[in-house]
Amino acid sequence: MFKTIKHYGRVTLENLKMSILTTLEYPANMIGWLLSNPIQFLIGFATIQFVVAEFGTIAGWGYGQLAFLYGLSVISHALSMIFFVQGWFMGFYVIEGEFDRYLLRPMNVLYQFFFTGFNLIGITDLIPGICVFVYGCIQIEFEWSVYRVLAILALLIGATLIRGAIYLIIGTTSFFTKSVNDFGAYTQELFDKTTMYPLTMYPEGVQLVLTYLIPIGWVSFYPISELVGVANGRFAWQGAIWVTLGVGVLTFLVAALFFRWGLTKYESAGN
Amino acid sequence: MAVIQVEHLVKDYKIAKKGKGLKGAVKNLITNEKQVIHAVRDLNFEIEKGEIVAFIGPNGAGKSTTVKMMSGILTPTSGQVLINGKNSQKNRKEVVQDLGVVFGQRSQLNWDLRLGESFELLRHIYQIDKKQYEENLEIMNDILGINEIINTPVRQLSLGQRMRGDLVAAMLHSPSVLFLDEPTIGLDVDGKYAIRKFIKEINQVKGTTVILTTHDLGDIQELCERLIIINHGVLIEDGPLNELIDRIAPYKNLIVEFYDETCVKHPKAELFFHEENIGKYRFMKKDITAAQLIQEISEQIAIKDVTIEEATIDDIIRIAYHKE
Repeated sequence: MFKTIKHYGRVTLENLKMSILTTLEYPANMIGWLLSNPIQFLIGFATIQFVVAEFGTIAGWGYGQLAFLYGLSVISHALSMIFFVQGWFMGFYVIEGEFDRYLLRPMNVLYQFFFTGFNLIGITDLIPGICVFVYGCIQIEFEWSVYRVLAILALLIGATLIRGAIYLIIGTTSFFTKSVNDFGAYTQELFDKTTMYPLTMYPEGVQLVLTYLIPIGWVSFYPISELVGVANGRFAWQGAIWVTLGVGVLTFLVAALFFRWGLTKYESAGN
Repeated sequence: MAVIQVEHLVKDYKIAKKGKGLKGAVKNLITNEKQVIHAVRDLNFEIEKGEIVAFIGPNGAGKSTTVKMMSGILTPTSGQVLINGKNSQKNRKEVVQDLGVVFGQRSQLNWDLRLGESFELLRHIYQIDKKQYEENLEIMNDILGINEIINTPVRQLSLGQRMRGDLVAAMLHSPSVLFLDEPTIGLDVDGKYAIRKFIKEINQVKGTTVILTTHDLGDIQELCERLIIINHGVLIEDGPLNELIDRIAPYKNLIVEFYDETCVKHPKAELFFHEENIGKYRFMKKDITAAQLIQEISEQIAIKDVTIEEATIDDIIRIAYHKE
């Protein structure tokens, strides 16, 4: 067990090193993303600011609270981009036979799929996330404590896992459909619309679906509403932060099992 | 014990039956008829330690599918492959630890970085002991001159250099079995020569068992003691190259040029062509040697010139492919 962890840890470090080297090979690429990604999220936040300025609150959430929610959402989005973005491109891997190589190496295939290349470009999403989050903290005069730091860490891990699991589940369908779909655009759309605003602004039917069927509510809305103490609808749970972590681990396990089943349907590519 | 045992290996693919045109497309949506393609049907063979085996067949014969099942990439519909006694699906990680695989048409090297980085990563993935790793690189350098290109980014390597890189990458962890899928495809004469030399040497030095698929008959002739031919997913030949030649083409042709139009017959050779001063004889190799035949003919009539025709490996393979 210890040996296995050491093995995976060592390979992860080596992969990280190679990802850094690869990113440094193309500095212009990084600069391009560094300009475009933050702008995208800052404009998104500006929209919220406009709505709040016009109407006062959104579903009972004030301006600072919304910034807090938006900021943490973008941070977990950025983390999922760094670690799990490959899920978006699963169709390509399936059709092009890219899993061949992973299947030929003596390590877990899912581990290799996600961690052979770290997407360091994802860091460019982290910057606007942290900016808006810090801004929100100042606005609502968020009181920091050891417990709250741990809670936010747990929340981010859970949220990142849920996002990763959903990318993985959607991506795994490629094993069955055998088509090259770029899942990026519409998963991003789905997450943007549901994690960056209070869920209670949607009808209850939608809330129900996003709580139990697709557990997106747990990515940001439930745990953060508990953290900042805002009303969060009738489907909320007590201790939502820790539930988020549990939901994250659970959905990821389900996604991993689904992936494992999908992989047995893998047909490689001609020659 | 055999290094590789292939037992009753079967692979079926289901593909949707496609109707023609718009009408067919709409019908497909409703009926969703599936057609089963039998890519590999009940394949059985064993490969012993240290063999170099050519695994050949026409395009679409099921070669790649079989190699992919042997190396654990594809799950067989039924049957199994044992490598060193272990099932390549159930014990994938253990099996691949002792397996090297090179696909001529794709690379496992990191395109953006210098070749050496890919090797370093593999060292960690396969947990190769540092000393062993350096020793292996040294051996590879002796055979393939890998040190010349180890600091070059992979994207700047020529196809031949990249192929050398891929071979080294596949052998770093000293696997006992090496699968090569069209390793010489697209290479120039020097490139092919280097690859063949490499295969021969690692086979001799390390006792590596090598299975290669190829369309290059030079590869087969230079490397392989044994041929496995499959077509339509069925094994049609399995044996040494010489035996196959003797069986498929047990005869030679002797073409004799005489001084005039007279010609003689011979009891052990069939005169199947005679025009002007040229006579063509076909004789069985087991009945008589060419030298004997020439001597016996020349005792009766003066010979000006002779040519001996033998079925080339191309002919043999073509005949084997078309055999039912």
